[in-house]
Amino acid sequence: MTHCLLCHQVLHPQMTLTQFWRWQPLPVPVVCQRCEQQFERITEMHCPQCGRQQTNMTVCHDCERWGEQNLRNHAVYTYNDAMKAYMQQYKFQGDYALRQVMREPLRQALAQQTYDVLVPIPVNQETWQTRGFNQVTGWLQNQPFHQALLVTIDHKDQPQSAKTRQQRLRTQQPFSLAPNAATVLKNKRVLLLDDVYTTGRTLRHATAQIYLGGAKAVTSLTLAR
Amino acid sequence: MSDEQNLFGRQLPLTRGPANSSSRPAIVLNGQRRQCQRCHQWLLPTDQLPNQAWYCRQCLQLGRLTSQDKLYTIPEPNRFDPVGVPILTWPGKLSPMQGTAATAILNLTRRKRDQLLWAVTGAGKTEIVYPALAWALAQNWRVAWVSPRVDVCLELAPRLQAAFHHVPQTLRHGKQTTPYRYCQLTLCTTHQLLRFHAAFDWIIVDEVDAFPLATSPLLQTAIMTAQKPTGSHLYLTATPGEQMQRQVHQKKLAVTYLPLRYHGVLLPQIAVCLIWRWRERLAKGKLAAKLVRQLQAYQQRGQRFLLFVPHVVDLKPIAQALQQAGVTGGMTVHAGDNDRAAKVQAMRDHTIPFLITTTILERGVTFPDIAVVVLGGDDPVFSTAALVQIAGRVGRHQNFPTGEVTVYCHSQSRRIRLAQGMISQLNRQGKRLGGRYK
Ligand SMILES: [Zn+2]
Ligand SMILES: [Zn+2]
Ligand SMILES: [Zn+2]
Repeated sequence: MTHCLLCHQVLHPQMTLTQFWRWQPLPVPVVCQRCEQQFERITEMHCPQCGRQQTNMTVCHDCERWGEQNLRNHAVYTYNDAMKAYMQQYKFQGDYALRQVMREPLRQALAQQTYDVLVPIPVNQETWQTRGFNQVTGWLQNQPFHQALLVTIDHKDQPQSAKTRQQRLRTQQPFSLAPNAATVLKNKRVLLLDDVYTTGRTLRHATAQIYLGGAKAVTSLTLAR
Repeated sequence: MSDEQNLFGRQLPLTRGPANSSSRPAIVLNGQRRQCQRCHQWLLPTDQLPNQAWYCRQCLQLGRLTSQDKLYTIPEPNRFDPVGVPILTWPGKLSPMQGTAATAILNLTRRKRDQLLWAVTGAGKTEIVYPALAWALAQNWRVAWVSPRVDVCLELAPRLQAAFHHVPQTLRHGKQTTPYRYCQLTLCTTHQLLRFHAAFDWIIVDEVDAFPLATSPLLQTAIMTAQKPTGSHLYLTATPGEQMQRQVHQKKLAVTYLPLRYHGVLLPQIAVCLIWRWRERLAKGKLAAKLVRQLQAYQQRGQRFLLFVPHVVDLKPIAQALQQAGVTGGMTVHAGDNDRAAKVQAMRDHTIPFLITTTILERGVTFPDIAVVVLGGDDPVFSTAALVQIAGRVGRHQNFPTGEVTVYCHSQSRRIRLAQGMISQLNRQGKRLGGRYK
């Protein structure tokens, strides 16, 4: 007997008629329908730059303010209460088993993207030690990826007192390219993968760095926006 | 509070402990399997992190433990200031029957026996424990009063504070931010016991058959681990489960019975009302005429009531259907409701006439002069114990010792019959002790 990973209720897997006729291998459900329905998928109507859910397809206000620094991000879900609660348990409480909840939706979303190289946003060394995992690569199953980026600046390590310094940090590049990155990235279409799009700063820094590595196009996918 | 006191009888993951503390790994390899040392549950082969550490999923709510952590402790020294006298500041008086039960419990406590107080709903079981608790505190025992239900803890806290006014006490539960305090008397949820190790000389487990304790090996272990090897415990309930009743039969657990309420009036019996296919009707926004008439009548004569429904998803349509029928002014409440405490308080303050609720209010909450109606009483969420507890909300107050309990259902279930049987049996025993119908 299996239980829903989120609410612990007993799962009664149901085979849909389409699955039956097509004789597809069943993706083993890990959450119940009620929990799954709490997550809101982002529809076609989204901002072409950050991927946020909208009622139209024009560039949103936040993205306009970034001006020249264009981005092409897609997001799978809205960052609603259910998603916040999920990220809280998975990432901050550190329940690594919850990676399974988002594996299938992310697999489907990745299949719809066009790219040559997949680059997940890395976590810093300290997080790796204490959390024990990178929340983004946790969602990947067999999809090949390259850890082309390294974290060079740990924002938490910096003194937070001086305001001017903080402002400087905001514009400071937190990533560097991994030693062999250029050979992997050269003339490739790269897809960056991150957990949540909040301000877009992280992805813009990462995009700039990947272009420096010789990529010909960079797009990104986040689980939530 | 010193770092030392923080560790007396506790087990906490720290990066470094005080000089006289000892530590042990949080996860240990035991044969082929790994075991968490905080909750004593076994890890699965899949519970490993990419950085090679192992982690326990069972007690995650208390903060994740991994094989990189160590649990620090200092053996419980019972280092308390002498308690001020009188220890028991409760001004009330036990009835002769309560007094007999209280003496029996005190005697078993002195002999450090594991025991059960099986007392009907509304018997006043909290007060029955007071004499034994006062005795234990005078012996410099460290005592925990715990319950699987946070509502029970919250309702109990001010009562214990008043009844043992000079005894330093601390309340611990999951949603709390106030720092821990080392006290002779700890009131907490069973979950919080996982932070203790061989701390308590005596543990009182209130509503021992309530969810989730009854079905959780983790919480059952927590009680045994938090108790000193020389310690003992007292279970309190009106509806012990079959396993506990078996332990009583096998004399593994001493028992004190109290089949009669403190005011001497017998328990209200459950009346059953069959309503054919109420769910289909509800889908069309309608409720059975019988039910509506009863609730309208309650409203007209100012009778406040609790309406229990099977599931959270039932709350809204039922509330809307009642609204349509002119039964208005109430609120709905369930376990995940952020305003739960405020709504229960509004009911207590008489600002609302009724609450529509899931089984979350089946125990631990008391409203004087209340009627109870259950819709869908044949749904499996209403166990026999739950139905007896729900019926037990009625007639608890001395001035309102009677009242109505009505269960509406599509078909009579075995659980409903068993609940009626349990109430009849308790009332037969109660009558022998002089119980009256009103
Ligand atoms: Zn679920
Ligand atoms: Zn945008
Ligand atoms: Zn554990």
